Amino acid sequence: MPDWKEEVRRRLSRLNLEPAHEAEIVEELAQHLDDVYERSLKTGATEADAKRAALKEVADTDVMQREMRRSQKPAQEPPVAGGGRTDLLLDFLNDLRYAVRLQRKNPGFTIVAVIALALGIGANTAIFSVVNTVLLNPLPYKEPERLVLAWEENAKQGYPQDTPTAANFIDWRNQNQVFEGMAAFTPTSFNLTGSGDPERLIGRRVSASLFPLLGVDPRLGRVFTAEEDQPNSERVVLLSYRLWQRRFGGDAGIVGKTLTLDGKGYRVVGVMPSRFQFPTVFDDVWVPIAFSPREAANRDAHFLQVLARLKPGVTLTQAQADMSTIATRLQQQYPETNTGLGAVITPLHEHLVGDIKPALLILLGAVGMVLLIACANVANLLLARAAVRQKEIAVRVALGARRGRLIRQFLTESVLLSLFGGLVGLAIAYGGLAILKSFIPDNISQGRTISIDYKVLGFTLLVSLATGLIFGFAPAIQSVRFNQNETLKEGGRDAATGGSGKRLRGLLVVAEVAISLVLLIGAGLLINSFLRVRNIDPGFRTENLLTMRIILPSPKYDTLESKSVFYTDLVNRVQSLPGVRSAAVITNLPLYAQGNSIGVGIEGKPAPPAGQEPIVITRIISPGYFDTMSIPLLKGRQLTDHDTNKTPNVIVISETMAHRFWPGEEAVGKRVSLGPIEKAEDWFNVIGIVKDVHQYGLTAELQPQMYLTYRQTDFFEPRDLVVKTDVDPKSLASAVRKAVWEIDKDQPVSNIRTMEEILGASIARERFSMLLLAIFASVALVLAAVGIYGVMSYSVAQRTHEIGIRMALGAQTSAVLKLAVGYGFKLVVIGIAIGLIAALALTRVMSTLLFGVTPTDPMTFTLISLLLVAVAAIASYIPARRATRVNPIIALRYE
Amino acid sequence: MPYKLSQMLDRELKKGSAELLILSLVEDQPRHGYDIGNLIEQRSRGRLRFNVASLYPLLYRLERRGWIQGRWVEKAGQRRRRYYRLTAEGRKVLAAQRHSWQEFVEAINRITGIEHA
Repeated sequence: MPDWKEEVRRRLSRLNLEPAHEAEIVEELAQHLDDVYERSLKTGATEADAKRAALKEVADTDVMQREMRRSQKPAQEPPVAGGGRTDLLLDFLNDLRYAVRLQRKNPGFTIVAVIALALGIGANTAIFSVVNTVLLNPLPYKEPERLVLAWEENAKQGYPQDTPTAANFIDWRNQNQVFEGMAAFTPTSFNLTGSGDPERLIGRRVSASLFPLLGVDPRLGRVFTAEEDQPNSERVVLLSYRLWQRRFGGDAGIVGKTLTLDGKGYRVVGVMPSRFQFPTVFDDVWVPIAFSPREAANRDAHFLQVLARLKPGVTLTQAQADMSTIATRLQQQYPETNTGLGAVITPLHEHLVGDIKPALLILLGAVGMVLLIACANVANLLLARAAVRQKEIAVRVALGARRGRLIRQFLTESVLLSLFGGLVGLAIAYGGLAILKSFIPDNISQGRTISIDYKVLGFTLLVSLATGLIFGFAPAIQSVRFNQNETLKEGGRDAATGGSGKRLRGLLVVAEVAISLVLLIGAGLLINSFLRVRNIDPGFRTENLLTMRIILPSPKYDTLESKSVFYTDLVNRVQSLPGVRSAAVITNLPLYAQGNSIGVGIEGKPAPPAGQEPIVITRIISPGYFDTMSIPLLKGRQLTDHDTNKTPNVIVISETMAHRFWPGEEAVGKRVSLGPIEKAEDWFNVIGIVKDVHQYGLTAELQPQMYLTYRQTDFFEPRDLVVKTDVDPKSLASAVRKAVWEIDKDQPVSNIRTMEEILGASIARERFSMLLLAIFASVALVLAAVGIYGVMSYSVAQRTHEIGIRMALGAQTSAVLKLAVGYGFKLVVIGIAIGLIAALALTRVMSTLLFGVTPTDPMTFTLISLLLVAVAAIASYIPARRATRVNPIIALRYE
Repeated sequence: MPYKLSQMLDRELKKGSAELLILSLVEDQPRHGYDIGNLIEQRSRGRLRFNVASLYPLLYRLERRGWIQGRWVEKAGQRRRRYYRLTAEGRKVLAAQRHSWQEFVEAINRITGIEHA
């Protein structure tokens, strides 16, 4: 018998099969040839003929090699055809491979979808990372949820949360049953001199118990002892990590060294850890508060902030009740100071997060809506593509693919798309966050630590997956829910044009329009409100003003005399600089949200009960202040250099003060008391009335204000220098600073800012929410426009044949246009109607962010609706017009 | 049937229907390659014939797709042979292909009028 194996092997040798596999094939084929040979012999053939017959089976070597090679390759067809075995992982990998191939085949589709998704997911990631850091991350203290702030409550006088007096704080601390401990702190600052440039350091006077209450240990050394918190004990200081690194190069031997603060020696006892901040990141030094006996007995000076830690198991309500009881007792005990004075506690977190919380939550809602619109867009794209793929699906179903299996494959495709969008979105968020951070108002102290951490990454992944499932599900269901025979017969015409496919697309457009209307109205309201805030006259001219802070240290400048000499010298020197028009000093510049007030008495009016004198915002200024700030004088005269401690006490008051205290009377010439009147010289004479200035922010209600000259009083010390320039104010900064150092080379200068910058910072919160919502609403508008355009193009393309017939039968262009635009327009109108109703319900949550605009402002609602109608009209007009340009003959041939 | 048409059928239809033929033959019982080739020849009364060069690559391809599964079987006194049986997946494909084929034949018949001739 011939060696069939050798014959077969020779013919397969060029295939280079794996030896074991080749042996099997050789065995099988040789056997077949053997069978043929045997049969031939049985039917009477000669050995030679039989051999020839057998070899004829493999004569076509080329064909056999080609077919063998093909048969060895992995299956080309996607495995959905079978759908019998459910090897989930294998199916998934195959689906994934197929999906990747599909995306690569349609780069246009993929790019559009990924961009839409990336915008949506990126916006969500960026806002979530802010929310995560500011709202969700716990404060960096031990059990921060038990930390509260305690305030005096004096709502009648307009202070629902007032800073407590030292005596009240001490009584609270001694009498309460609900706190593990209470600690007071108050802002302070020091001029640091010695090695290097003089520097102004921000810090706090704090109770020794503060650090144990927060539960934070120092990085080096120790915190304060109770003894150090006593008056006249040794002066000690704790440093922030930042200051330690920046100023002392992380000197490991810093503990025990002495710093010169305001000309006095303070021994460093410790350095706080790098992550520690209290209450803000700006604080660089802490010193013991060490109340003097006079301070400790004072119930007039409201200047403290009080931190307390709830005992385990004590609720906020219980603590509040206990504090109220103590406050009532103190009211009875000290009627002359404590009448009407309650106590209120608030969670520390709430206070630190401040009023940015509603804005952030609204932004989070807004980006969620942007993502929904992106989903609708991609779903629409997928629907259109699914229509094109009906034939493919029909064939698969005919070959036995189960629908569940097909849906799974569609979802794999959409999730792949959304994950890719998520990846690009992450990049967008990363870039966007850098910009976002610069918008975050400075007083949100966690703003600087915002970053993309693992929680944010998890969020992005989750959102991407959910997004893929949401926008993929409808098209997936849609595309397998059709009559298979119809599709096969129709030769692949679109099943999604008629019936439910069209309805679904219409629905998506309606949803997109409705959601973007809500967003646009929200943004419109904020823009409207922001413009109103911007248009508020602050009461002075902000342009060409340079400001800086110059705080005189106390031992060096102890007397009114020495301070006066410094301020006079300073103003004169600065005014003589080229480019400077005028200069002045003031205790607190407007819009800085801080400053002093004094309770006043009015001559000839009955004195109100103790502790209830009208409170007047008080500023100590140098005479040139009104000119420098361009604050118009309405009546009387200004303060001048001739008003000194040797002439009668004078004040200039604001319009509001004049109206409120002397309604219908001439205020100039009246007298007020700022303290006990022992002699006639104690009265302050009103010599002039100036226009109101918004001291505490543009939107704050105007309060009575008065101005005193630094030559007559030292209740408070001027610390802000303001310079009116003829040139760019920033360009004079170093010249002005040099002028300061010519007077005193150890005098620090800080907070060098233009008035425009201060104004900008004062409305940072409004700008932050307005800008972001406007950006998101614009993205939503663009996405919605693209969505409408896409659906209209598609629907017009589907009707090209019909339009051709109409045109051929003599229809006017305008009639055809109306027909085509009409459908899109109907969808837009429905969408706007739904959007308006939703907006009416939703904008109410924004009311705290609005100023001078109601959440249902009819003007905004109307304008935004019209804007959306216009955009939608354009988006549907372009494809419609294209349809009318079709040559009827071509349209009819289109089949 | 004229010779020419028969030759054409052999070439064209064989290509398109080979899978269906093989799947049908292993539907009820596992068979080895020689058996399958023989049955095709016999049942088509010699009109359809697969030689080794084309039959086995086809079997391997179907196997790779998971529609059939080959297994060496040793019976007493015989050399071992590779038997092919239909998988569950193959059964589905067979049903679908049969259906398509029937529709195709019906369509051809309706057009060419063979049915009513």
